[in-house]
Amino acid sequence: MWQQAINGVFLGAIYALFAVGYALVFGVLDILNLAHQAVFTLSAFIALAFVAEGNMPLAIALPVSLLAAGLIGVGLERVAFRPLRGRSDSNISGLISSLAAATILEAIALQIWGPDVHRFPQGTFPDKPLHVLGATVSALQLTIIAVSVALMAALTAVLRATRLGRQIRAVAESPRAARILGVDVDRVIAWSFFLSSALGGAAGVLFGVAFNSVSPDMGRSVELKGLAVIILGGMGSIAGAVIAGFALGLLEVLTVVQLGSSWRDAVSFGVLFVVLLVRPSGLLGKAAIREA
Amino acid sequence: MRFGRWSLRLAAVALPLALAACKGGGGAGDAGGEPAKGSSLKIGAALSMTGAAATYGQSQKNGLDAATEEVNGGNTLQGVKLELLVEDDATSKEQGINVFQRFINTDKVSVIIGPTLSTTATAADPLAQQARVPVLAISNTSPTGITDIGDYIWRDSLTEAQVVPGAVKKAKAKIGFKTAAVLYGNDDVFTKAGYDVMKKALADENVTVVDTQTFAKPDRDFSAQLTAIKGKNPEIVVVSALADNAAAIVAQARQLGYSGPILGGNGFNSPAFIKNAGPAAEGVLVGTSWNSASTAPANQRFKELMQKRGVNPDQFTAQAYSGVLIVAEAVRKAGFKTGRDDIKNGFAQVKDLDTPLGKFSFTPTRDAQHQPAVQQVKNGKFEIVQ
Amino acid sequence: MPDFGSFFLTYQSLFAFIGLNGLLALSVYCTLCCGQLSLANAGFMAIGAYTGALLTQNAHAPFPLALLAGAVLPAIIAVPLGLPVLRLRGVFLAIATIGFGEVVRLAFVNWSYTNGALGLVAIPQKTRLWMIWVALAAVMFALARLRGSRAGYALEAIREDEAAARTMGIASTHYKLSMFVLGAAIAGFAGALEAHLTYMVAPNGYGFSRAVDMLVYAVVGGDAVFYGPVAGAAFLTLLPEALRGAGRALGLSPGPLRLFLNGAILLAVILFLPNGIVSLPRTLRERRMRKASRAALG
Repeated sequence: MWQQAINGVFLGAIYALFAVGYALVFGVLDILNLAHQAVFTLSAFIALAFVAEGNMPLAIALPVSLLAAGLIGVGLERVAFRPLRGRSDSNISGLISSLAAATILEAIALQIWGPDVHRFPQGTFPDKPLHVLGATVSALQLTIIAVSVALMAALTAVLRATRLGRQIRAVAESPRAARILGVDVDRVIAWSFFLSSALGGAAGVLFGVAFNSVSPDMGRSVELKGLAVIILGGMGSIAGAVIAGFALGLLEVLTVVQLGSSWRDAVSFGVLFVVLLVRPSGLLGKAAIREA
Repeated sequence: MRFGRWSLRLAAVALPLALAACKGGGGAGDAGGEPAKGSSLKIGAALSMTGAAATYGQSQKNGLDAATEEVNGGNTLQGVKLELLVEDDATSKEQGINVFQRFINTDKVSVIIGPTLSTTATAADPLAQQARVPVLAISNTSPTGITDIGDYIWRDSLTEAQVVPGAVKKAKAKIGFKTAAVLYGNDDVFTKAGYDVMKKALADENVTVVDTQTFAKPDRDFSAQLTAIKGKNPEIVVVSALADNAAAIVAQARQLGYSGPILGGNGFNSPAFIKNAGPAAEGVLVGTSWNSASTAPANQRFKELMQKRGVNPDQFTAQAYSGVLIVAEAVRKAGFKTGRDDIKNGFAQVKDLDTPLGKFSFTPTRDAQHQPAVQQVKNGKFEIVQ
Repeated sequence: MPDFGSFFLTYQSLFAFIGLNGLLALSVYCTLCCGQLSLANAGFMAIGAYTGALLTQNAHAPFPLALLAGAVLPAIIAVPLGLPVLRLRGVFLAIATIGFGEVVRLAFVNWSYTNGALGLVAIPQKTRLWMIWVALAAVMFALARLRGSRAGYALEAIREDEAAARTMGIASTHYKLSMFVLGAAIAGFAGALEAHLTYMVAPNGYGFSRAVDMLVYAVVGGDAVFYGPVAGAAFLTLLPEALRGAGRALGLSPGPLRLFLNGAILLAVILFLPNGIVSLPRTLRERRMRKASRAALG
């Protein structure tokens, strides 16, 4: 049983890290960024390139890829989202625009690295299994959980305690009011994308390392799970995304044990559904969900 | 004004159509639909070069290119040259159908190779059957819905039903197990068909299945399923998965502490499996159609050619390469004629052809027939199990 | 010189797909025109396709009955689904409908009666090109009639500002649900038609990417008018084939380039032609007029 719990927590950590980025952008811009999974994927490839070809140790490749992912996010915002800012149907057009961007990024990954699955070279990370309470965990898994939690905590700290964080929260609340108060909304949005994409990118690198598999389509399954997580947690709520991420990871594992693995994804979406119908604000969300 | 608006819209629709139509019209086609007789045999290959099946399409293209070059260079067809046209069906049945139509009606090919996925085949092959164009499937393994479409549809890919029972029997004889757990991908035709066969084969051998778990192709984490399986203490774990999932499954199984035997189906038969699974691949038994370790000259030649191209061949490559050899043989058997019915009749006469897959013939129902193999990973390489 | 006989033979499937995709795009338009972003129609399409195919194969039902059932069953399911789900706004509705689509797909993947991932094969081909285009014309006609009518104005009002529309006495829930159900019926009908055209149905053809494709047809074409989605469907169905032809001529090997161009074109349309392709003539005209007036002024 403990083994399954650990499996759930491990999976959940990655879901949570991925979803947090989604939540951030949604909170600030009210837009679902479907290109998030493409950044997730590209970031994993970038880390792989640095480690495999640049002979960089993973500990350095990770922050470098994070930086790269953040920059891609900023570029994404500039090209695909900013021109749409004034429009009335901006959440639909934003969705499609992000989709187009995702397609372009995936094509780039496909062109450079081909469709096959790549793995990190042997010895990129120590692979010592540890035994805790009768369950087998690898040092790698513990490290990944730790890094995920650290990054999410860092984001929370930034949002709570820094000036940028306050500005982000102000813009999320009301861009107009923020502008009146002298906040440079464009800059804040760019920063939000930077942070969101950096975290999504981190999730990608950790995912790639965790399962030792990097391929252009690795974002697809996580993308939809990510949606379930932010709904469960409450759109726009970082803490909600974190809790929901772990909850979903555990729930999936529990489903496999009790109902059988064929039910696993159906249960995730079922939960999504039920939450939307019963308590659309999710666990911790405060965004206005319903109509008048 | 209204006319202007409409004419522009019409132009927007007509222009891409015109673009699509004018290109690739190629040879001296006649309205009859039959390809021009002569010294060139047009082969249309519908492969998934993008989309979910892109990695298999790429492997297949490598095999087709190599074989075409080899056959044309060998000059054993009395002057007939193979002309290979490759189109991407983007792993979509719609585009698969469009590609087939193009091959049949615009390019006027003599034979179609592909498509990569069985699901695309069930939608596109009927068109070829109706138009009386022979199709040689090189990776469709679905037990029904392929060759039963009609007498123009042939395949060189063994179905799991032809591969797995022998593997299970041999594994049981060697290891002797009474209980097993099964893990399979339930959202993919290849792996689901594999599971159906495995279930039956295990029952036939009087093995009790203590647990059955499933996964979906995009999954990367199998710890939940493997932990559940391990908890039931099976004597062997039988897995129906494609290479990438297979590598992850085996690696994670070992990591979670399952040290018993693992038996995989056709999907495991790939260098990618060994590469990605690392040391965890050691000892895994695989029922396969392509015996990569075979020392037969045809196989050696194949591996040599692929190595020259810098390609590490897998089963898809081998089946694709063999496909072209089979087409060439059909040309020979048809008296070096290149018409569509010539190829179809030629297929029927292919007997014990030397291919990387072994001595190849077609069954009376146009399915593949050659000796499958059971392999085991020893020291990072596939070895035949005696 | 292009050979017109073989041209038609080659492209007859393409014309069929344009018609089908046009129907699917219109099914999405139904909900878009009252401001609802629903991605449920791939799921409804799947239900319609399987229903029609099962009736034909297992019950040997006459084709019209199979088609009818393919339209009616999704419509029936749309009611209890739509009532709670249409209360959600914007992106939440989108996500809920994405969830629905995934649940439908997974249900078919796991259902052994329909052969799971393999789906149903060897479905007799009963759909003809004219059927698809007649259906498309009928739906277009119906939606065109909607435009100037009272219902049409109500929908537009709901799209602009639902709260305001409600205060003016428009029963927004009733209208939204009706359009949701209509969209489901059209999608299901198109699904049944497609099943009897392509000989097979399989769950993976009705997933998230299918739902997104339909939405993209409608938005790229132009979701302000009833013929926009059809133009979008035509353009985007032709695009891969046009790129294929161009690629062959230029000697490019098949691969990521087409994917890249797909994305790039979609992005360009979204950024520069917000009202879709059908607004292109108007945009060009406006630009010409602006240039002329600037020249005239000095």
